[in-house]
Amino acid sequence: MRNKRLFGIGAVVASLAMIGTACGAPAADEGDGGNSDQPTSLNLGWNQPFFSYNGDTSDGNATANNNIKYLMNKQFWYVDAEGNIQQDTSFGTYEQTSEDPLTVEYAVNEDMTWSDGVPVDAADLLLWWAAGSGQRNSVSTDDVRRDEATGAADPRENQVFFDTSSPGLELVTDLPELSEDGQGLTLVYDEPFADWQYDMSVSVPAHIVAMRALDIDDPAEAKQALIDAIVNNDEEALAPISQFWNDGFDYTSMPDDEGLALSNGAYVMTEFVENQYMTLEANEDYAGEQGASIDQLTVRWNEDPLAQVQALENGEIDMMSPQVTTDVAQAAEEVPNVAIETGVEGTYEHIDLVLNNGGPFDPESYGGDEETALAVRQAFLAAMPRNEIVERLIQPINAEAEVRNSFLRTQGTPGYDEIVAQNGTSEYAETDPQRAQQLLEEAGVDTPIDVRVMYAADNVRRANTFQLMQPALREAGFNLIDGQNPDWGSKLGDGTYDAVFFGWQSTTPAVSSDQAIFGTGGINNLNGYSNEEVDELFDQLVLTTEESEQVELQVQIEQQLVEDAIGLTIYQFPSANISNETRVTGLEPATLAPTMFYGFWNWEVPEG
Amino acid sequence: MVVFFVKRLLMSLLVVLVSTLLMYVLVDIAIDPLFDLRTSTSPNREELIARRVAELRLDEPVLVRYLDWLRGASGCLYGQCDLGSNWQSDQPVTALLGGAILTTIQLVTAATVLAIVLGAFVGIVSALRQYSGFDYSITFLSFLLYSLPVFWVAVLAKVFLAINFNNFLGRDSSTLGWLTVVVVSVFVGLTIMAALGGSRTRRLQVFGAAAGITLVLLVYLNLTNWYANPSIGIVIIALSSVGWAYVMTILSTGLRNRKALYSALTVAALGAVLWLPMLYVWQYARSAGILGWPLVLGLFVVALAVAAGVGYAWGGPDRGSSARTAVLTAIPVSMMLFVDRLLQSWQSYNDNIAIRGRPIATIGRVTPNLQGDFWIQTLDVATHLVLPTATLVLISFATYTRYTRASMLEVMNQDYIRTARSKGLTERTVVMRHAFRNALLPLASIVPVDIITLIGGAVITETVFGWFGMGRLFAASLADNVIDPVMAYILIVGILAVLANFVADLVYAVLDPRIRVAA
Repeated sequence: MRNKRLFGIGAVVASLAMIGTACGAPAADEGDGGNSDQPTSLNLGWNQPFFSYNGDTSDGNATANNNIKYLMNKQFWYVDAEGNIQQDTSFGTYEQTSEDPLTVEYAVNEDMTWSDGVPVDAADLLLWWAAGSGQRNSVSTDDVRRDEATGAADPRENQVFFDTSSPGLELVTDLPELSEDGQGLTLVYDEPFADWQYDMSVSVPAHIVAMRALDIDDPAEAKQALIDAIVNNDEEALAPISQFWNDGFDYTSMPDDEGLALSNGAYVMTEFVENQYMTLEANEDYAGEQGASIDQLTVRWNEDPLAQVQALENGEIDMMSPQVTTDVAQAAEEVPNVAIETGVEGTYEHIDLVLNNGGPFDPESYGGDEETALAVRQAFLAAMPRNEIVERLIQPINAEAEVRNSFLRTQGTPGYDEIVAQNGTSEYAETDPQRAQQLLEEAGVDTPIDVRVMYAADNVRRANTFQLMQPALREAGFNLIDGQNPDWGSKLGDGTYDAVFFGWQSTTPAVSSDQAIFGTGGINNLNGYSNEEVDELFDQLVLTTEESEQVELQVQIEQQLVEDAIGLTIYQFPSANISNETRVTGLEPATLAPTMFYGFWNWEVPEG
Repeated sequence: MVVFFVKRLLMSLLVVLVSTLLMYVLVDIAIDPLFDLRTSTSPNREELIARRVAELRLDEPVLVRYLDWLRGASGCLYGQCDLGSNWQSDQPVTALLGGAILTTIQLVTAATVLAIVLGAFVGIVSALRQYSGFDYSITFLSFLLYSLPVFWVAVLAKVFLAINFNNFLGRDSSTLGWLTVVVVSVFVGLTIMAALGGSRTRRLQVFGAAAGITLVLLVYLNLTNWYANPSIGIVIIALSSVGWAYVMTILSTGLRNRKALYSALTVAALGAVLWLPMLYVWQYARSAGILGWPLVLGLFVVALAVAAGVGYAWGGPDRGSSARTAVLTAIPVSMMLFVDRLLQSWQSYNDNIAIRGRPIATIGRVTPNLQGDFWIQTLDVATHLVLPTATLVLISFATYTRYTRASMLEVMNQDYIRTARSKGLTERTVVMRHAFRNALLPLASIVPVDIITLIGGAVITETVFGWFGMGRLFAASLADNVIDPVMAYILIVGILAVLANFVADLVYAVLDPRIRVAA
């Protein structure tokens, strides 16, 4: 018993003795943790993770994919910060060689390669033609069998179906002619098309598609097989090719197959952790202009803008461009060393008056009296407090925000000023309830007029917009009925409301898409507007490729739209590019896609 | 028992079935998969819509789609799980779930354990000092914390524990001001005094000792620049190991059981002696490439086994209680050895180019592009876990405090406690052996359910801290109008909830012999 007690005390003493001698502990240091060669690096904040390398499929075409592809993929063209389309001649050239029929020659420069060393050439272009034109599909969209469990497009064996569409390439029904050197091809359009410049895309490497789909090991052989399959319309070969093109490039973490993450541009993907981040490193083999200026870019995903602001303050993110609200803008301003560049983004808010639902803006309500209905619409728009909405809701975020006055062109892009000066919206420059009352009086309409206004529920900015509209329009003689609705998107065009405000989004300065909104029977024509003159002008516009002529036609269209008082644009959505100026300078965010990522070749990490 | 089991199983199955049907229909009504296309200006919008309607079979009745989903899901019973896929990213839901469940478990495990241990401890102390200043303060504090919204606590935690703390570390001398040191010392002194209670003299003594020790500790931390370069070191390991030995003995058997005390002290001594050799073991493991969590956990199990052996060797009137005390002591001692080694890599972690001297993170699970060995990576996980764990603990700890306090109070008024006291047992024995165990019984029915709720319900915490776990999977899929991941979430949480209640019932019956499971 006593011995054991002594043993215990002895153990304690022994351990204390050990403390005295414990000097020779091994060093804990394990090298410098990658500090030796200081590469420049930046962390960028973004809200939605990347999910598909093929941004041309109907599912993969999303900002989350396209912005990252912008760092990895060169194209024949890009849209600059001002919204002008520019050729990237360091990648290749394209030229319109004939107007009738519209003929465009594309040629990729010889030194352009994918990051596995295989050259970019006509095969890549031809693959996109086969996909985008739909000419090689052996089934139509409606007949595609869908996977019973997942619902994904699942063409039967030996059926060809590329899950995409391109309004321009659909007009190129003839097989494009490949150039002799194999670097390019010539598209011949069946009819003129205004936005032909946006039609060509080099998104996925053709050799990888053919190698994986047809089980060929040699890239050159694979390309030839692909070209043969497309030229000969070989359904047996095209079926697996289209299948691989549709979903072979969908992944949400670093793929095992390196071929699925090739780059032909400034950056290569090196690490991709699901839902967390993606690291891109400078592509050393890239020969074109606008190469990487920062060695390593990491895109970190977080959908909470306030969390992003705090991460910026904590040094975890160096730059971000969140969906900005007043709260976010205020929080960001308080961060030390922050640089905030406010501006506008591609989405714009507008109000539509419904002309075909038997409501107050429909001539039917006045026994078919067009004049009276027009006067009521004009009165409504005259009393619409657009300036106040912008001042109260948008300027706290973007101090330079102004009312948008053009239906067709984005603020700050070419042609906007010219259109606004002539389209007649100056009539509505000031909110004028007196004029509204006068118009209603002259038209002999009983006031107050009930107007059901629909807008998105659970959207604070839109709720506030309505709160500003209600009193202003009451003064003019309109009684606004709050029709906020969570399902507003599916109710658009169903006639259950008289006025609606929501946003339309533009991603490129292309001109042909607006016809769907204002043309008679257009799929986005949600208020029943029909004006033969406008339809005619749009038909011309779609065929007009010269920019100045386009603007001229757009001015005429807008004059009609304003005259018919079918609605008004309100504001361009505000954007804010928030960055830590001690970490990055040389930013040049663009209004349209790719917003924050535009001009990455000029980014710099300041010294010190 | 078997009848009970089968009956419960069938009932549970029915509950899950009905809830999935109900949720499928509700979710289908709530979401609009065509949402983004409705405001699209694309000239071929109609075609895109037609394509998506065909893809998601939106033209078929919801019940038909539910039955199809159910057929795929029921495949899970015989190993052919098909829970559908996310149509936007074309990922099978089963693949999505794997990552999300792991993330959530990593996020909530530490927080849950800490909240339960802390909450039960504080609750019991609070009950023993019923209607004292300590009790009132704890009651006030726990209700305060309970009522705080997570997102708000999270934002504050980011400001104070991450941004400001990192700024503090980045200063030339990261030391606490004198005022802070004194205030903290007095506060700690008061808290411990209130918790221990006793006569006026004893209170003064306790206050003096507690405040004094805290003061010395804080000054020591200031002088050694501890905050910028934290470490434990052999001195503190040795001293606190002995301390743990005494604490564990007091809680487990009481100091009168000398054999138990000696077992604990031996374990403490062993820990201190092994400190230096262990550093070599870690180094060897790293160069051999076997350093990792399996090794660490393996060594931990070995340590516990050795401690149990030490207890048996000391023997005494009850070998079991000696062994138990030794094992209880080995837990904190071996943890300290591990943390000590971890902190030796702190400087290297802090100076890493990916960290740039701002160690505490506000978003994500790991620092992107961080280069380093096991210790660096472990530190990185820890610095990312600090904030969410602190937030979750602060909020869920309150519930456990209230539960244990209430049940402890109830137990302490039972006849058998009075009997135990009148037998002349020491207060320690009465509290620890007779009251404490019975007071924990209600927890057995709360904890399983709580764990399930945490797995499914940390949506806000996950969002604010940028972790993509189950909660986010659910919320994001709902927002993106994707039904299959939402249904998988509902299925899993539903099954787990039913299971948790079932387990709680069984555990209750096992722990409390008065309760019998009857059909």
